[in-house]
Amino acid sequence: MDLRLTETQEMFKKVAADFVRAEAPAHLMTQWYRTKETFRPELYRKAAALGWLGMLLPEQYGGAETSLTDCAVVFEELGRGPVPGPFFSAGVLGAQIVFLGGSDEQKKSLLPAICKGESIPIPAITDQAAGWGPEAVETTLTGSAGGFILDGSKRFVFDAEAATGFIVAARTESGEIALVLVDRASAGLSIKPLVGFMVSAAEVTFEKVRVPGSSVITAGSGWQVLSGALEKSLPMLCAYQVGACQEIFGFTAEYTRGRVVFGQPIGRFQRVQDHCVDLSVHLDAARYATYEALWRLDSGLPATAAVHEAKAVASEGYREVCNYAHMVFAGPGTDYGHPLMAHSVLAHTLYQYLGTPSHHKHSMMDLLYPISPKHALR
Amino acid sequence: MDFSLQADPPGIGAFRKEVRGWLQENMRGSEGLRWSATWSTRENEEEYRFRRHLAGRLGRKGWLFPMFPAEYGGAGLTIHHQTVLETELAEYGLGLNHVFYTIARIVAPVILKWGSEEQKREFLPPMVRGEISVWQVLTEPQGGSDVANCQTRAIRDGDHYVVSGQKVMVGHHKPPDFLWTLVCTDPSRPRHENLGWLHIPANLPGITIQPMYMMMGLKNSVFFDGVRVPVKYLVGGENNGWRVANTHLELEHGGEGRVGVDPLIERVVEYCQKTKIAGGPLMEDERVRDTIADMMIELNTLRRFNQRNYWHRFTRDPHPYGGAQQRYFQRMMRLRNGERLQRIMGCDALVQDLSVHEVVDFEYAVRTGPGQLHGGGTLDTDRLIFARRLGLGRPTKEQAPETI
Repeated sequence: MDLRLTETQEMFKKVAADFVRAEAPAHLMTQWYRTKETFRPELYRKAAALGWLGMLLPEQYGGAETSLTDCAVVFEELGRGPVPGPFFSAGVLGAQIVFLGGSDEQKKSLLPAICKGESIPIPAITDQAAGWGPEAVETTLTGSAGGFILDGSKRFVFDAEAATGFIVAARTESGEIALVLVDRASAGLSIKPLVGFMVSAAEVTFEKVRVPGSSVITAGSGWQVLSGALEKSLPMLCAYQVGACQEIFGFTAEYTRGRVVFGQPIGRFQRVQDHCVDLSVHLDAARYATYEALWRLDSGLPATAAVHEAKAVASEGYREVCNYAHMVFAGPGTDYGHPLMAHSVLAHTLYQYLGTPSHHKHSMMDLLYPISPKHALR
Repeated sequence: MDFSLQADPPGIGAFRKEVRGWLQENMRGSEGLRWSATWSTRENEEEYRFRRHLAGRLGRKGWLFPMFPAEYGGAGLTIHHQTVLETELAEYGLGLNHVFYTIARIVAPVILKWGSEEQKREFLPPMVRGEISVWQVLTEPQGGSDVANCQTRAIRDGDHYVVSGQKVMVGHHKPPDFLWTLVCTDPSRPRHENLGWLHIPANLPGITIQPMYMMMGLKNSVFFDGVRVPVKYLVGGENNGWRVANTHLELEHGGEGRVGVDPLIERVVEYCQKTKIAGGPLMEDERVRDTIADMMIELNTLRRFNQRNYWHRFTRDPHPYGGAQQRYFQRMMRLRNGERLQRIMGCDALVQDLSVHEVVDFEYAVRTGPGQLHGGGTLDTDRLIFARRLGLGRPTKEQAPETI
């Protein structure tokens, strides 16, 4: 047992923290999230130069092949911004899908470009608003290796705007799930940002989009590839949410010291303290669930249930942390010019992204205690 | 981060082998006895005797307090050795903290920190060897969570303190050898500067113990009626009791840390797999599964908080707020779990099952849900301390007292 970060991790953490302070200070974050201009190509290129995209990939593809925990430490700092951009969606999840499921050709052409920030393949998975399982994949892929037609609409695509291309989950004629690479410029592809209490998400429609056979990442076992990629990737998203929670805790605790009403700092009021206390519980619950899952993955222990658990706890935690912070900041915290608002909008978005806490709890239970087939239909 | 409890660092593997072999040998004869990681009013005489003997045998090897200095009866080992002992004992459903019926796990470190050299040499070895039972005796009828409002008087009279007063809601069903007691040594001095801490032999004349029947089980009132306690039993010096109390309370209030899992969830799952409803096991009911998932995740969160606190305590790097956080979370979780059990298993959650230990009895979990919120200070004091440690509304964070 050793619950400290390693020296290397402390170094990663410091570099990432300095980057966030310099490139993504709170006032800029507030502005970007308010105007929903969340993809900043120049920022993404700078991060690529630091080697943060494809950190998990082998060196032969331009990565650094770090441990998952090393990478998570960087994502925790990015979450403090919360620095927007396809760092996770393309740099981790997209890269992992290609790495785990792609042909040699695809890996050679795509992965180095992902690491340089030149290729940004964004996963487009679910066709349903309320579902992230295989049953929610409805977009169809018809035709043959000579040429496919992709038809359907992806309901919730995070970071769609940043995409140079999409990794689309689609049903083949035999009913299986395939993953296909689709160029953003393809005829018949359209992106419609989702407007409301969410950010960086869009609906992406594929209307009879032609896809060459060479763009299929893997036919037949697409869902397994996706599941494998998610297992390694989700903890980065969790760490990002942990960092966000830590940042909110910091500025909320600070506010309880400086904000004076009824003649004393509000942190002297026990009801206000209670909000912060609950906030802190959610923050640390998310932190240790995340780092335990990372440890399991890095040690080669069975980790699937732990990853589902971490996603459930971190997404629930981020949302709760925002809610408790709202209780402390009251009216001013609901101004789109307040730093809390960027988090609040993002927390609700990430609560949905790649499955709600409820979805992941179900997945965890189904894995630990499978339902026998004869009862599954009840 | 490495959360592993089983993968031993270099040099520790041999110790694990030694402990495993030793336990195989020394647990012989325990087959058929029921164990629990905590003390239990449901143990029979034979089980209790075996537990005490085991404590003595572990204690003589220094293994009850493996990190304690050898000169006071410990084994002078590292956190990794201790983790080995904890995990190997867990194989038998036991844990170091509760091998025997005593609060020594908290008292001994406090004496190590605050006792004089003479006191350490006299008081610690029997405790560390697992030979004696100590009760902590803090709460008073009028004080409750306001521990510093201590009315039990200990007035100096030559070589003795004369102790008079009443303590409530202390101890358990097995008699103590010592009473670890907060007293007021000088009523004329200001609050917090008027206290002392006495390690009182329980057989002194003038001490009466009366049982109290409570929601949580059996507790006791202790009456002191002019009890003459030799001065050598004052730990931490004259009027220094509040500082001693802070060390004690930090350990009692979650800072103690632990490794290991709560066995309750396993039994819940077993119950749900066995129980059939509408032709299928309860375990396959969606609502039951949702409830169990929430229970399981919260128990895991608690396990991780415990492990974090364990790591910080035994690497001598006190966590600023970990104790209060653990305790607040644990208590609220147990309250929620009581309700969840009722939701899962209906009235079976309210029916006592004396064939199993408290830790896995559903009725005990439901009944003590609202009761366990207060033991050792209310939930509200937890949150007060938590808030101070977080530095809410104050320029500096209150520091965690040093523990050992």
